Amino acid sequence: MSDIALSISRPNEKPVRSAAGALHTIQTVCILIVALVIVSPLFLLVVASLKDDRFQILADMGSFRAFWVSNPTLNNFKEVGHFSGELAFGRYLFNSLLILSITVCSGVIVNSMAGFVLAWGSVKGRATILSIVIALYVIPQESIIMPLVIMVSRAGMTDTFAVQIVPWIASPLYIFLFYQFFAQLPKELLEAAQMDGASIFRIYRSIFMPLSLPAVATVSILTGIETWNQYLWPILVTQTDYARPIAVAIATFFGQDSIYWDRAMAASVLMMIPILGLYLAFQRWFVSSFVGSAVKG
Amino acid sequence: MGKRLLSSLILTAAMSALAHAADMKVIHVMHQGDPAGVAAIGAVAKAFEAENPDVNVETIYAPHDAYNEKFSAAVMAKQLPDVMELDAPFLANYVWSGYLQPIKPLIDKDVLDDMTDSNIVQGTYPVDKDLYAIGLTDSTVVLYGNRKYLEAIGARIPKSVDDAWTREEFEGYLEQLSKLDGVKWPIDTFRGYGIKTEWITYAYGPILQSAGCDLIDRTTWKSAGTLDSEACVDAMTMMQKWVKNGWVVPQSAGTNQFYAEGHPAALALGGHWFYAEAAASMKDDIVVMPLPKFGAKGASPNGTWIWAVTETSEHPDVAGKFVSFMLKDREYRKFVASKSGYPGLKSFAAESPLYASGGAMAIAYEQASKTAIARPPYPAYPTITSAFMQAVDEAFNGGDPKAALTTAAEKIDEDIEDNDGYPPFGDQQ
Repeated sequence: MSDIALSISRPNEKPVRSAAGALHTIQTVCILIVALVIVSPLFLLVVASLKDDRFQILADMGSFRAFWVSNPTLNNFKEVGHFSGELAFGRYLFNSLLILSITVCSGVIVNSMAGFVLAWGSVKGRATILSIVIALYVIPQESIIMPLVIMVSRAGMTDTFAVQIVPWIASPLYIFLFYQFFAQLPKELLEAAQMDGASIFRIYRSIFMPLSLPAVATVSILTGIETWNQYLWPILVTQTDYARPIAVAIATFFGQDSIYWDRAMAASVLMMIPILGLYLAFQRWFVSSFVGSAVKG
Repeated sequence: MGKRLLSSLILTAAMSALAHAADMKVIHVMHQGDPAGVAAIGAVAKAFEAENPDVNVETIYAPHDAYNEKFSAAVMAKQLPDVMELDAPFLANYVWSGYLQPIKPLIDKDVLDDMTDSNIVQGTYPVDKDLYAIGLTDSTVVLYGNRKYLEAIGARIPKSVDDAWTREEFEGYLEQLSKLDGVKWPIDTFRGYGIKTEWITYAYGPILQSAGCDLIDRTTWKSAGTLDSEACVDAMTMMQKWVKNGWVVPQSAGTNQFYAEGHPAALALGGHWFYAEAAASMKDDIVVMPLPKFGAKGASPNGTWIWAVTETSEHPDVAGKFVSFMLKDREYRKFVASKSGYPGLKSFAAESPLYASGGAMAIAYEQASKTAIARPPYPAYPTITSAFMQAVDEAFNGGDPKAALTTAAEKIDEDIEDNDGYPPFGDQQ
């Protein structure tokens, strides 16, 4: 039967191959176009940050000159790189990194613990709690932001690092993500550890967490991006430079009368680097987590 | 014995520090601005502290675009600052809501006496006619022109506000400029500022007023019948035509086409602050002209960011003293002048040769006394400006001007009805 099929297909092989080749070329072109669309704004950002004249940046916008710099300079980076003084961007960057690292670490710990207990713990009403967690996920952050402002101000937390970290550690989405990941791991792992006399915390720490690197990577990157890009919340709950992140500082360049594109671009490049680093560090697990979710889902 | 002495010394020092902290008066000053502005206000705060050792000034910066959100959060958290910067047209809303207190008793008399009429108008609440805010500056919009292009088409260059272009002249020049070599767009109306800023109402509102209508009837406080009147629809249709004809720099082209390389825009309907950057690039090629008359009378905007003392301030006297200090501070004045600040105090005008008779921006200063019309000093202003901006956006994107203005007028009147006419405004009728 297969021989017949092969013999039948032979005369058409060439056109089939060339059709596949054409499809491959189209796919490659499409991917290149998508990549270009994604990369070109970043490239423009970097190029603009190397131009010394904010008016020139504006003048070049709308033409291909926006993607070219004839006299590159690092002056903008020097101007925004100070740790103290008129606008302490170094300080803002430090603040952002501090908030990012604590939020990501605490977020992974708290959300994974909650996810683990919901998946394998013996707490009563797990299904109800899980339903509540999922229901909470659909509530947009914007709708609770003002009540949250009132709560943190009454708690005397305004203008601190804590106010930018604590409210965002526990997340329904990440609890559910960890829950889903843990629930897919074999129950035998839990039973074997229990038979060896391991405590629930020991099982979580020594067995399930080491197997959950893709989930940890995903939650770290997503929490990282979310925390790094926080803008409205820090504006509402901080008063001074003491704990303000770099996203707020960049907005300073967008003044009432004029916009300092040169320095805003340099500061944006600086702001982009840490989150890009975080992504590159976790990329392998991040991608595998997404692929895994897609296959299993 | 030694330990006891040390303990007493530490205790005394701690007690003294506590007593000093208790004596310290802390005032919070909320403001917006660009990096240089932030630094300038910070320097004023330091200078004030140096002159008043018992006062600690804490500045609270909020980015320009998120200033209203920050203010709303401060209101909800009951953490209003002592001194706050606010955009003048929002004053009526803030006073009506009970956020601000009359500022006259708190400000030095010499500063009050120094205010220009337009400055007094922008800080006055129309119900009790009391002054609630004061500024070093005011603002206006003028028509900038590229001298070479204007000479090429033989345009008449107005010498004073009374001499402003008529609608026919203005539209005629736009058409001529659209055909002139080198001109890509006859005019930049700064659509690039977007529709989230106050620009549209601030700069385009006077076009409506000059054409013989307004955003709202300032006696009955009703928008329907005024904003969607024939005169307003005609003015909006005129602006839409400029856009349709490709005469106006599009929003996507940014905000510098007047002085960008090759000078693609021939005219610019720009704020007074635009002069500094445009003149730096164009030198003598820039011409400053009054806004055209689109009807029987000329109209120009006024109002800028001004300073007020909040109702909840624990130290209103210190807050007022700080505002007076800032408005008189030499360094702060130098900074504002360097940004071509439009004088709101007479003494500051005297220090600003740019706006003095014979100065490059003298016409801009002349507009303040002859054609300036404040944006409606009414608590519904936030709704008025938002509805009008949406109407302009819709019309510029091809929508029907009449329908867009009618929708805006309905939205405004609905807000007024929802608030029972914002008494005592409604009671005055």
